[in-house]
Amino acid sequence: MRGGAIPILVWGTLLLVLALGNWVWDAKPVNGAAATAAVLIIYGFGVAVWLARREAIRRGPPAPRSEPETVPQSSLAAMLIGLSVGCALFGLVWTRFLLYFGIAMFVVGVGRMTIEVRAARATRRKVLGEGEQP
Amino acid sequence: MSVATRHPARFPVIGGWLGTLTSTDHKRMGLTLGVCSLFFFLLGGVFALLMRTQLAQSNMHFVSDNSYNELFTMHGSTMIYLFVTPMAIAMSLYLVPLQIGATRISAPRLCLAGMWTWICGGLVMQQGWFASGGAGRAGWSSYAPQSNGINTPGVGMDLWVIGVILAATGMLVMGGCVVATIARRRAPGMSLLRMPLYTWTALVSVLMVVGSFPMLVLVMVLLYIDRHGGRIFTGFEGSIDYQDLFWFFGHPVVYVMFFPYLGAAAEAIAVSAHKRWFGYLAFVASMMMFAALSMSVWSHHMYVTGGVTNQYFAFTSTLLLVPAGIEYFDMIGTLIGGAIVLRTSMLFGLTFFIQFLIGGLSGIFVASPVLDYHAYGTYIVVAHFHYTLFAGSIFGFFAGVYHWFPKVTGALLREGLGKLHLALMAVGTNLTFFPMFFLGNDGMPRRVSRYPTHPGWGTLNELETIGAGIIAIGVLVFLFNVWTSLRRRVPAGDDPWLGHTLEWATTSPPPPLNFEAPLPPIRSYAPLLDLREEELDRARERAEVTVGG
Repeated sequence: MRGGAIPILVWGTLLLVLALGNWVWDAKPVNGAAATAAVLIIYGFGVAVWLARREAIRRGPPAPRSEPETVPQSSLAAMLIGLSVGCALFGLVWTRFLLYFGIAMFVVGVGRMTIEVRAARATRRKVLGEGEQP
Repeated sequence: MSVATRHPARFPVIGGWLGTLTSTDHKRMGLTLGVCSLFFFLLGGVFALLMRTQLAQSNMHFVSDNSYNELFTMHGSTMIYLFVTPMAIAMSLYLVPLQIGATRISAPRLCLAGMWTWICGGLVMQQGWFASGGAGRAGWSSYAPQSNGINTPGVGMDLWVIGVILAATGMLVMGGCVVATIARRRAPGMSLLRMPLYTWTALVSVLMVVGSFPMLVLVMVLLYIDRHGGRIFTGFEGSIDYQDLFWFFGHPVVYVMFFPYLGAAAEAIAVSAHKRWFGYLAFVASMMMFAALSMSVWSHHMYVTGGVTNQYFAFTSTLLLVPAGIEYFDMIGTLIGGAIVLRTSMLFGLTFFIQFLIGGLSGIFVASPVLDYHAYGTYIVVAHFHYTLFAGSIFGFFAGVYHWFPKVTGALLREGLGKLHLALMAVGTNLTFFPMFFLGNDGMPRRVSRYPTHPGWGTLNELETIGAGIIAIGVLVFLFNVWTSLRRRVPAGDDPWLGHTLEWATTSPPPPLNFEAPLPPIRSYAPLLDLREEELDRARERAEVTVGG
């Protein structure tokens, strides 16, 4: 995590300089808006990483992680959500049935995702509890 | 400390093919995405062969005009949205966590959802072939008003638009996960300036994905609304606005399709030269500069429209030469004094640099508005972007495949077949794309299904078609190499090339959580090379003591 936001913010600053150059030289609203949007997205990403952990803008190697974390091995919910988005948009063009089917699949996928995430948290709590026992 | 969780106990364990398809292991996701991308590469290659057959001679009637429009649109779209860019992301998904010593990727479920969204995008786009009126046929850039509902009616074009939205969204999500992984999951000791070359190229690429792909999604949504009566891109200004928004994505993606393969070639060259990459810091700085500039050059695709500030975009486009020059300088510096072993991966890496040089040098000409007026819309542009996009990606990709195949599968690819593959690809690429410079200079327009009988054009086009066939044979040799190497395996061991980076410190193929043994100390971007050099120093000291004592 340490330093993770630095390259993102540096690159955002380079983009900002070039976006300013674009505003001055080109002065087209669409171009300026596109360049500004990219700068904001990159800065937003960098700030999100920084807010997640403050050490993200400090230089130096990352420290060892000690807290346990859960690593999912598979996720049917994620596949369902991905497929449902595709199915719904395909239905927008091809046939309305697929649009409704996609929306239904999305709801099921989100429901299952909730269960999966809760199960992962329960596993983590269990491991933490075992670690605390003498 | 990582704890593996499969899923809630109330659900049965997912195994077999479904287990692979729902796996959140970054290696399996990378492989699935890579295999799907390779399938689309073969499909896009078939489209190219059909196009080249049509163009083999003047006034051919192998396919209709409409079918030709579909073929060149779907060839470009398949290669860009469904092969080169996602393959770059697939390699990043597989390799980046291993190279930075992470046990997993950040937000694996989100990444898996993104992968399936991308797969849906590819399938939806190809569904157009079964639609009445055929597939998308307005070019891979689908300029408005050519692509609007009046000029290109039909479900096939709508499916193309939806397919691009899905594919772009999926790649955006996966790219975000790679950025988050690099930002949050580096191993202890792995500071930013100790990250391997490939990881840096992957980081810069996915940053461009995050910065520019939202614009593609936006412009495709607007195009879809426009096609259904929204009247968004109307008149001259509307057309220019579409191009501005599209190329804001369209130019950075050229570098998304280049950087990871540059990283793969650089790793293969450094390892095969048994030497540290020369000028690591300059390389990293040049990557950042390259990436930022690449997001400020997009309107050089629009010089002839009269709707852009040519001087500004010519200036930024020409500036790209500086970081590109640094990378070539570093590559040559790495080779000088190295103990070079001419493995297939090394040869592919060197060929990558040579082939991309042709694309880069021709880029200087088309970056100049005056010269671009002459070249625009001709085969010069086709030659230029195939030398950058095809040669500038595929040779680096194969350098990476020959370099990391032993890590991924635990088996070595056959070197003899690999060198045959390289020879066929190099001959085929130059035979196909170099004559295009002459044809373009002579005025042959791109995107035409037939051309009149003209002195020299027939011969050059025939040569190009033969070249395309040779590339196809080269790809078949590669597939045979993979098949035979997996069928009759020559075990590779964990580190067959004496690699520099952390992925070579684990087993081949790597275990589920990547590393079972403790990681070596990370004091530079090449920790395994550090260990070997320390070992060598100790051996020297022992020898000196023995001789002296």
